[in-house]
Amino acid sequence: MAARTVLRNEWRLLMADRALRIVLGLFAVLLLYALANGVVWLRFQERIVETVQTGNAERASAIEQELAAIANGAEPASRFSDPRDPYVLGGGRGTHTAVLTPGPLTALAVGQSDLLPYYYDVNIYTNESSFQQNGEVENPLNLMVGRFDLAFVVIYLLPLLVLALGYNVLSEEREQGTLALTLSQPVSARGVVVAKLAFRALLVVGMVLAASLLGTLVTGGFGSPGRVLLWCAAVVIYALFWFVLAAWVNSLRRSSAWNATVLVGAWLVLVVVLPATINIASGLLHPLPSRVQMVTAQREASNDAVNRRSELLARYLEDHPEMAEGVVADVTFSGALAWAATDAVNRRLEEVTGEHDARRAEQIALVRRYRFLSPALLAQEVLVDAAGTGDARYAGFQSQVRAFAERWRGFFVPAILAGEQMDASVLPDLPRFSLADEGSGDVARRAAVPLAVLGGLLVLVGAAAGAGLGRVRGAD
Amino acid sequence: MIRHIIRKEFTDIVRDGRFRWCSILVGALLLVALGHGWVQARNAQQEHAAAQATARDHWETQGEKNPHSAAHYGIYAFKPRLALSFVDEGVDPYTGTSVWLEAHRQNDFLLRPAQDATAAQRIGVLTAAQVLQHLVPLLIILLTFGAFAGERERGTLRQLLASGIGRRELAAGKALGVSGALALMLVPAALVGAAALVVGSPGPAASPLARGVVLAGVYLAYFTVFLALSLAVSAWARSARTALVILLGVWVVNGLVAPRVAVDLSKWLHPTPSAIEFARTIEREMASGAGDISPPDRDASTERLLAEYGVEQVEDLPINAVGVYLQESEEFGNRIFDRNYSALWDTFERQGVVHETLAVAAPLLAVRTLSMGLAGTDVEQHRHFATAAETYRRDLMRRMNGDMAENSRTGDFSYAADAELWESVPPLQYAAPTLGWVLGNRILSLLVLGTWLVGTVLVAAARVRRAEVG
Repeated sequence: MAARTVLRNEWRLLMADRALRIVLGLFAVLLLYALANGVVWLRFQERIVETVQTGNAERASAIEQELAAIANGAEPASRFSDPRDPYVLGGGRGTHTAVLTPGPLTALAVGQSDLLPYYYDVNIYTNESSFQQNGEVENPLNLMVGRFDLAFVVIYLLPLLVLALGYNVLSEEREQGTLALTLSQPVSARGVVVAKLAFRALLVVGMVLAASLLGTLVTGGFGSPGRVLLWCAAVVIYALFWFVLAAWVNSLRRSSAWNATVLVGAWLVLVVVLPATINIASGLLHPLPSRVQMVTAQREASNDAVNRRSELLARYLEDHPEMAEGVVADVTFSGALAWAATDAVNRRLEEVTGEHDARRAEQIALVRRYRFLSPALLAQEVLVDAAGTGDARYAGFQSQVRAFAERWRGFFVPAILAGEQMDASVLPDLPRFSLADEGSGDVARRAAVPLAVLGGLLVLVGAAAGAGLGRVRGAD
Repeated sequence: MIRHIIRKEFTDIVRDGRFRWCSILVGALLLVALGHGWVQARNAQQEHAAAQATARDHWETQGEKNPHSAAHYGIYAFKPRLALSFVDEGVDPYTGTSVWLEAHRQNDFLLRPAQDATAAQRIGVLTAAQVLQHLVPLLIILLTFGAFAGERERGTLRQLLASGIGRRELAAGKALGVSGALALMLVPAALVGAAALVVGSPGPAASPLARGVVLAGVYLAYFTVFLALSLAVSAWARSARTALVILLGVWVVNGLVAPRVAVDLSKWLHPTPSAIEFARTIEREMASGAGDISPPDRDASTERLLAEYGVEQVEDLPINAVGVYLQESEEFGNRIFDRNYSALWDTFERQGVVHETLAVAAPLLAVRTLSMGLAGTDVEQHRHFATAAETYRRDLMRRMNGDMAENSRTGDFSYAADAELWESVPPLQYAAPTLGWVLGNRILSLLVLGTWLVGTVLVAAARVRRAEVG
């Protein structure tokens, strides 16, 4: 009964406050703007994925047609693009592009999707250096600043709104002299603060969740309900963390101005300063190994193998079929010898890259421990991971492409070594990449610890706030 | 009189525990960021220089081979770090660090450091530039929001003015007092920065000290904008609290909202082509030409050579017709690459102008642009190096194809050049752009920042004159 009265009064008060109405309206506009950006980006990626897949289909059908024509007695268009040659069918001409479809909630969090490659061309030449790609063409300036997406609004701006709504829930009553009056009713200070904040939380969290669900609905993200649930959980816990922080500061019985200063300071430290300090500290303590040294090592690794004339000649003729007139096709030149050189290069590249990747994984594991210091980093991790635009999903995709390239080589290399020709009968058996996308369960397992820590922080600060509020008396 | 105001304001601030802690925190972050940036920039520069030397060594010791095979082997170029990049790493983590210069193809820069990092490392970057752009203005706001509004609330403003001091004098005193307190933190940081610059600037000489002086001037102007703005709001606002709320709102829009709005706006106004469209356009144009650029005709090329040398048979030519043709197709390719890459770089530059233009709403955008430009870490200077590397590639290809044409005969695949030829190619020497070039690119930002400076100072003066006493 009392809670309902408080809620009703609060609604009237909030609606009577013009500044607050403007702030809430502005927040709604920012939510929609963020959502629109995310949807535009998702549509862009979807279009590219479709283009890439059409490319796969077109290459396959051109090869199929030519093989059929050859079977009917026609000559191949060129000796160097003869689809019966496993070097051609498994090489540049037969390239199959492996694609990572956009994360189900990309529209909500762009995450790493603007930075990391989401498709790779795979053929028999695919090796470790094929993974050194830039991904989508993008202005480095825009990559540096980052997108205005829903995740950004949640992590940076939502706490500020929460603080603006909650910094004076109790202190204002005291400053206006209404605290004693309120507490003379059969309600406790704790009850009043809880009711007031619950009402505000309902409003703010409701707005963010509504925007999230709208975005999910528009982009068909409900196909992965587990991810949607994780996203919502992260939003709710993170927002509530800031509300209980406001409650706790109010329970210290200082002035509204003091509360505001402390809360803004807390935001600054937790959201801006700590993540940055963590990154500086991790950069100093656990520097990532340099890619520059890896390039040199790769070059050295492949140098002697590359210097073999046979392979150079093969490469040369591949690059310049028009120059091949006059070069007598040497039976022994083909296939096996060239592949041996390629394979030697690949093995050395794997060694060099493997060392680099192992060191990088070690450093990142160390760096990741520090994220527990900042609720903003924890929330960001869960939000981006739930959206399917986090590091883990891209790393998983890359290792699947590695395995696929291995399978691809396994299909063509025996024929290359045996100097065999292929025909249309192999087409149905050609390896095709199919993404084994991570399930909601995998994401939930990764998100469990950060969410639990966030929840723990929430309970801890909440308990402190509860205890502090229990000591508030009307006579304060 | 004004001396007393300055001294009072200065002493107040320095004795205030909250300010002491805030500025110790900001100052410490600034020093750590400077130190970290310096170590990182120095390591990166040493590493790049070493890699460049090794790449050169690989080139020279590649053994005997056909010059065109050497052209395919190519050489790697590594982007050097300019001396001031330790203050502001700018877009460097998002541009590649190395490019493979090989025959027939203009490659992209690969190895973006950010790709190796984690998502978390994208949201919390702290360079000295970011401390200066975000945290120092916040400190200024916290120091100044109460300058007038606070005195008014306490009733001391009337008293002060009754003592005969002019309002403008009062404002100037307060501004100078705050500046003095800030100088306690900023001057040592600037000295450390200058020392770091003098001690170690391993990168290409690009007048680092002149750039540093202008950089300091830009940040001073930026701080003055915030100081004047804070004073103006403080003189105008009813209460100190209102002043603080307004100024924090300005800070959030300036530092958080506007920069990201600029990103999406710039992409809407000037769409970036997708990687696959970009690659396919080049592939298509390389095959069949574009506009009035048509691929070279090998037969026509041979005919011309035959006529030029007055012989009937290709075998009788004193030169290798293939070498000539390869160079012709190289030059055809160059025109196609110029067409496409110029369009891409121009799109990036137009997007950059959107960021610069939005500086009318958020001075940070102007300062950030200038800061990256002076540190040598903006998109334009990446383009500058990319162009230098590409020019080097083209010269290298011309030399290789030229040697093949001159020293071998058509159809002779056994010709091999040796180290003498490889060593005759001069190493890549990069001359970083001058200060004038950088500033010439950044006139818009300079203008906007100048307007902010003059505008806020005038508004502050007007507001202070009209400040209500109580």
